[in-house]
Parts: sequence; structure tokens; C-alpha cells
Amino acid sequence: MEPELEPPQLQFRSAEMGCAFDDFHGLISTPQVTGGSSFTALLELAPPQAVELLVTEDFPAKQPLPPPIFPTDIGLIHRASKFSVFASADNSMESNTILSVSNSIPVKQEDLDADSRRNSSSPAGSDQSLKSGKRKEREKKLKESNKKSKSKAANDDGEELPYVHVRARRGQATDSHSLAERARREKINARMKLLQELVPGCNKISGTAMVLDEIINHVQALQRQVEFLSMRLAAVSPGIDFDLDSLFTVNGSSNDNSYSGMLAPPICTEGQLDGARQLQLQQLWHCDELHQSVWARETDTSNFIAPANSLLSYDSTSANSGKPVAPRCTTS
Amino acid sequence: MQNSSSSSSLMVKQEFFTKWKKGLKIYSAFNKEMTIMERKRAIKLSADVAIASTRSATTQWSRAVVAEVSSSAAGAARIAAEEILGRKLSTERRKAQAGKKIVRRRRKAAARGAVRSSAAAVAKKVVRNRRRVLKRLIPGWKKLDEICLIKETLDYIASLQVQVDVMRHLANAGETLHHQQILL
Repeated sequence: MEPELEPPQLQFRSAEMGCAFDDFHGLISTPQVTGGSSFTALLELAPPQAVELLVTEDFPAKQPLPPPIFPTDIGLIHRASKFSVFASADNSMESNTILSVSNSIPVKQEDLDADSRRNSSSPAGSDQSLKSGKRKEREKKLKESNKKSKSKAANDDGEELPYVHVRARRGQATDSHSLAERARREKINARMKLLQELVPGCNKISGTAMVLDEIINHVQALQRQVEFLSMRLAAVSPGIDFDLDSLFTVNGSSNDNSYSGMLAPPICTEGQLDGARQLQLQQLWHCDELHQSVWARETDTSNFIAPANSLLSYDSTSANSGKPVAPRCTTS
Repeated sequence: MQNSSSSSSLMVKQEFFTKWKKGLKIYSAFNKEMTIMERKRAIKLSADVAIASTRSATTQWSRAVVAEVSSSAAGAARIAAEEILGRKLSTERRKAQAGKKIVRRRRKAAARGAVRSSAAAVAKKVVRNRRRVLKRLIPGWKKLDEICLIKETLDYIASLQVQVDVMRHLANAGETLHHQQILL
């Protein structure tokens, strides 16, 4: 049958389409580096101001690492936590703005005001921290920072600043336990904020319990989506037969790039097709036509999709898993 | 969700995609005919190991995923996982890892004694319960304390998002082509 004929045709086609595809891919893959860090880039979020400022601070420090998203990712998280507890001297002003923008409690600003110094050397730090002349607190801080340096070395994975300077706020206990507790709480709060940015719709919610609820829902939803998607792929793939993926590798592993660029137009197609999807699942594909359509699609989306649209007469059931389908094409 | 991802997010996706394909290829080499459920399991396992390997050894959850696969996978699954990770899997039987602190859940309520039915106490209890629920969702939750929990959640959510995006694109593309092919 067809599948036997298909391999030689396939190679030929992929070769001839390969060059066309490369140009196309080159077009698509000119990266617009959003200037965001890896972390927010990973999320494809338009980073809110707080995170953005966190990010731009990231760059000078972590620039020379190209592939690893994750060191900078963790770095971002660390920086977020650092903000609440202490801030580097350069960014004291920015961090103040950040925190005021993101509605943190005013005492945090006070914290940062006091902590606007380099943390590398505590004597130097104490020189600069003369915003409020509380000697006792500074001494507490020194003791605290010494203690914290040890605990920090033990706890954190890779934070390079040795000291944590925590200023005791007015009217609050200044013993080391509560200071440590407060530092810990602030770290947790900073990370919770990041988490709130990450999960869509959490920004507006106030109150930890609700936010945690949303986060739990989001994680569960994502896990469920993975299950469903793998089921979908399993259902689709009898025709493709896993080796289709090896075809994609002909064009380099840049498929997702092209697909993400091009699936935006065909989103409307999906919406209409989903209703009829179940009908087609049992049918066998003709693999050579499939490959032809794959490569042709890479090069010339619009011409290819339009005739398909014109033939469709399905209702646009947006049964896609959560994807906002904006039907831009009309069915005839 | 925008499709215009920036380059670093793209790199993760590509890395995940390549690794995932590697795993799938091994499966198909082993076993030409698979039922739908077997295929689904193969796809899912390859995807999970691939996304965990993009973070391998830096996060607790990725280590936990790999450990779980290595202790419960057999045959094609094992080979696929090893191929994705690029190393041999060791069958570890719940060996205590000296990485993170192991959480001892001490019931401090007894020590506290007094019954606090104030609103704040109730709220705290609710929050604590939710944290516990969240913790259980993350793979490798037994070794997470509160601070690490949030960090791991962040990382895990981001990775899940990548995984879902790539899988969804592939599924959509496949199905779209399928239909167009049928129609034309």
C-alpha cells in the first residue's frame, strides 16, 4: 500500500522542501529578545513591572550563560527573595519603586531604605546604614548578620551574598529568633509574589488561601492537560507512526518555532475541525500526502489553509483545551 | 497565550522537543504495534522524562521524576529514559538523599495547648492545609520544606507550561494536517 511507497518520496520531498524551510525558519527565528529574563520568557508573560525590574537587574550579573535558563531562573527567584530582605546598593531606588508599585506594606520600603548597601562587608555596611541612628539595632544586625551568614550558607543553594541584613522594625522584637523568623517570612512572601505573577489571574486575588487555591487549581489543570494531550497524540499517531517526529528533525529541531509561528493562523481551522475530529480518528493516513502537506505548510501557510477552510462546513466548536480560539476565517 | 516566545523560552521548548522525540523514537524502534493506551503511556513517559531532564539535578521535582521512572520502568521505557537522560538509571529503592532537609511533621498543637478559634487561627489552618495539598501535587514532595515548596512550584509550573505548549502544538498540527489531508 501507500506506506511502502512513501519512504523514497518522503526523503525527496523533505530534501527539496528543506532549503525553503530553512529560509522560512530563519525568518521566524530572528529572536526578539524581550530583554526579560529567562524566567519570564519561559512563561511568555509580559512581565509586570516588578518582575521586569527584577529581571533587568539579573542581566548584568548573569549575562554570560547562554543556554541555561535555569541558573538565571533560580537566580531570579533568589533575587526576588533578596529584595525583601536586603537590596544591592544600585537598585535601592528601583527596588523601592518596585515595592511601592506592587503594594507591599510600607515597612518593606523602610527595610530596603535601610538596607541599601553592599552586603559583602558588614563593617562597611554598617557605615552606610546611618539612615536611622539606632546603634542597638545595628549591633543586633551585625550579630544577626553573622548568624545569618552561617544559616544562609547552609540553607540556600548558590546565593552568593554572604550576609543578610535585616532591620528590626519599630516596635518589633529585635531578638535574633524573631529576626530570623521575619527574614524567612519575607522570603516566603517574595516567592509567593512571584508565584502569583506566574499563575494567571492570581494578581487580583488577595489573601494567601485564595491564592494557594488558584495555584493548586492551576497545577492540577496543567497536569490534566498533559494527560489529555498525550492521549490526543496517541490517538492521532496511528497514522503518523512515531517516526513522523524523525521527519521533523530533517529541518533541524526548530519545528516548534515554525509551528508556533504558524499555528496562530490555523487556530481557526482547529476550532472548526475539532468537532469532526473523532470521526476521522479511525482512518488511516496516507503518509506521503501528510508529509507533503507538512512541508508545504511550512512554506506557504495561507494559500494552503484557505482552500481547506473553504471546504469546511463544520461548526466552530471551540473544544480546544483552554486555547482561546479567535475564528478569523470564515467557512463557506 | 502569545505564540511569540522569546528566544530562551524557545530554547527550552526545542530542548524538550528533541529529547521527547528521542524517547519516542526508541519506543517505535522497540515495538511497531502498540495499542492506544501503550502509546499514550509511552508519549507521557517520554515527555515527563524529557521535561525533567531539561532541569535535571537542579530541582527536586525533576530528580524525583527521574527517580520514580528509574524505579518503576521496565524494558522500552527504561531504555528510552536512559537515552533521554544520557546516562544509566540506577534502581534506587527509596534511598534517603542527603540533599534537602527531610521534613519532620511535628504536631505542635499539643505543645500549644490552648484552643484558638480566632479568625486568624482558622485562616492559618486553612492556609496550612492548602500548602499541604499543593505540596502533594509536586513530584518529590516528601523532601520539600516550605521555602523550597514555593520555589519548586514555580519551577514546576513553568516546566509544565512548556510541556503543555509543545504537546499541544504537536497535537494540533498533527490533527490539522490529518483533516486537511482527509479533505483534499
